[in-house]
Amino acid sequence: MQFGIFSVGDVTPDPTTGRTPTERERIKAMVAIALKAEEVGLDVFATGEHHNPPFVPSSPTTMLGYIAARTERLILSTSTTLITTNDPVKIAEDFAMLQHLADGRVDLMMGRGNTGPVYPWFGQDIRQGINLAVENYALLHRLWREDVVDWEGKFRTPLQGFTSTPRPLDGVPPFVWHGSIRSPEIAEQAAYYGDGFFHNNIFWPADHTKRMVELYRARYAHYGHGTPEQAIVGLGGQVFMRKNSQDAVREFRPYFDVAPVYGHGPSLEEFTAQTPLTVGSPQQVVEKTLAFRDYAGDYQRQLFLIDHAGLPLKTVLEQIDLLGEEVVPVLREEFAKGRPAGVPDAPTHASLLAGRAGAEEGVSAV
Amino acid sequence: MKLVVVSAGLSVPSSTRLLADRLAAATAGRAPADVRVVELRDLAVEIAHNFASGFPGPDLASALDAVAEADGLIVVTPVFSASYSGLFKSFFDVLGVRDQDALAGKPVLIAATGGTARHSLVLDHALRPLFAYLKAVVVPTGVYAASEDWGAEGLPERIERAAGELAALMTGLSAGRGTERAEQDGSGTDGSGTDGSGADGSGKDGGFTVVPFEERLAALRG
Repeated sequence: MQFGIFSVGDVTPDPTTGRTPTERERIKAMVAIALKAEEVGLDVFATGEHHNPPFVPSSPTTMLGYIAARTERLILSTSTTLITTNDPVKIAEDFAMLQHLADGRVDLMMGRGNTGPVYPWFGQDIRQGINLAVENYALLHRLWREDVVDWEGKFRTPLQGFTSTPRPLDGVPPFVWHGSIRSPEIAEQAAYYGDGFFHNNIFWPADHTKRMVELYRARYAHYGHGTPEQAIVGLGGQVFMRKNSQDAVREFRPYFDVAPVYGHGPSLEEFTAQTPLTVGSPQQVVEKTLAFRDYAGDYQRQLFLIDHAGLPLKTVLEQIDLLGEEVVPVLREEFAKGRPAGVPDAPTHASLLAGRAGAEEGVSAV
Repeated sequence: MKLVVVSAGLSVPSSTRLLADRLAAATAGRAPADVRVVELRDLAVEIAHNFASGFPGPDLASALDAVAEADGLIVVTPVFSASYSGLFKSFFDVLGVRDQDALAGKPVLIAATGGTARHSLVLDHALRPLFAYLKAVVVPTGVYAASEDWGAEGLPERIERAAGELAALMTGLSAGRGTERAEQDGSGTDGSGTDGSGADGSGKDGGFTVVPFEERLAALRG
């Protein structure tokens, strides 16, 4: 099972000091967070993509390429890549390039983006969000698998005799996750292709996440990719930890109370009772995270959101230390217990390459 | 059948709730139905939280589900500032964001209470357009009760007429809607069909209606 960090990349004032980091500070902080994730033994760093303030990460492959050069093992991913407003041709090129530079340590998560004005800024219409995701990904999927593509669709200028370069590393396209909080169409899309499905699992009660994941698993099996238990599921989570849980609550509350996404709403206590947010000791984080399996089944990737709402970098790095030292090792051990033999790991470049070699051998043996 | 009553009265006891109960009793007397009353006052904090957090708390979620699953709906608001109350509107805002078709085709009886009869057109200027937007089937007779109406002639007759219209629509339309749902599901009339393995791969999964992906792609190619 893979564990990692996903960052939204918001520039938010620290409510306890009133200080707002500069964009440069925030961008460098995201890099420091990624490097720390590798240092403490986490598997994945994923960056968001935004094209409006107060967010900085508009250019994910630039950031991930820089991180790739400074890391050895970390898988570089996105949370999410906007399949609606980006040109699928440019996504094909950017992430194939990143694959080569990072020696295959790359996957990505497709998302639609929920900021209305971003669509017209990129020549699109949010009311076509699902259709854009469907058509653009269908093209992206072909661009990585067919050397020469002729294509015509509703949303993009046609392609005649187009070859996306560079070709994917070793001819193996990056593994793709499809992220959605509330759209069953996207769970269906992930299932159709046999791709991964990621539920952000942060702001919604567990029952909702459970229904979305169950839909994806059932449809994954329907399309013949394997049993429902073999579908590739990722979940988000949100934590703030201190050794002593009262210290965690006291320190996090001022950030929670005014957090851009959910501040001024339900209390910290209500929110932790109704959503996956955990504010407490590492042991409490372990217990709550293990319980995700009760409603999502045995899954492949767990990403934590830890660097939002104006938390200072020093604090965030301490959180990653706690994850690496006290949480993830226990989670690895406990999640492995009772995990059925048929449940696969999340695909990596190496496993996809090996799988293809195995399939070719099988063919030649016949 | 399920009849759900949404009451936005704030005081206890409230004349809004009194009118709601009269309408519910008159309707249930004509169309046998299980009646559930949703008091928005009890949900006021969760409704506000839903705007801030994006998801409903457990009691609000239960109320929204009940409204969405109802065969008929009675909605009653006090008149505030020449319109429905903010709390009343907020409840239906939250419902609409969660499922924009939650009230589509659903029979709804609109009613309001006020201190004077001067605001009676609030039914037709405010409530009827709101529920038309939400795609509900609003019964022709709305019931407005000013303070003076509780001691005057006419209110019981209007209650009976409106309840009769709602009951007729519930018995007529709910049968029709059941057929339509079963056709969409491809799952017959038992309403189960939750295994997502219909012969053509369509169907309902965990309450989601699934359009097979090939169809979605083909629609774009067409």
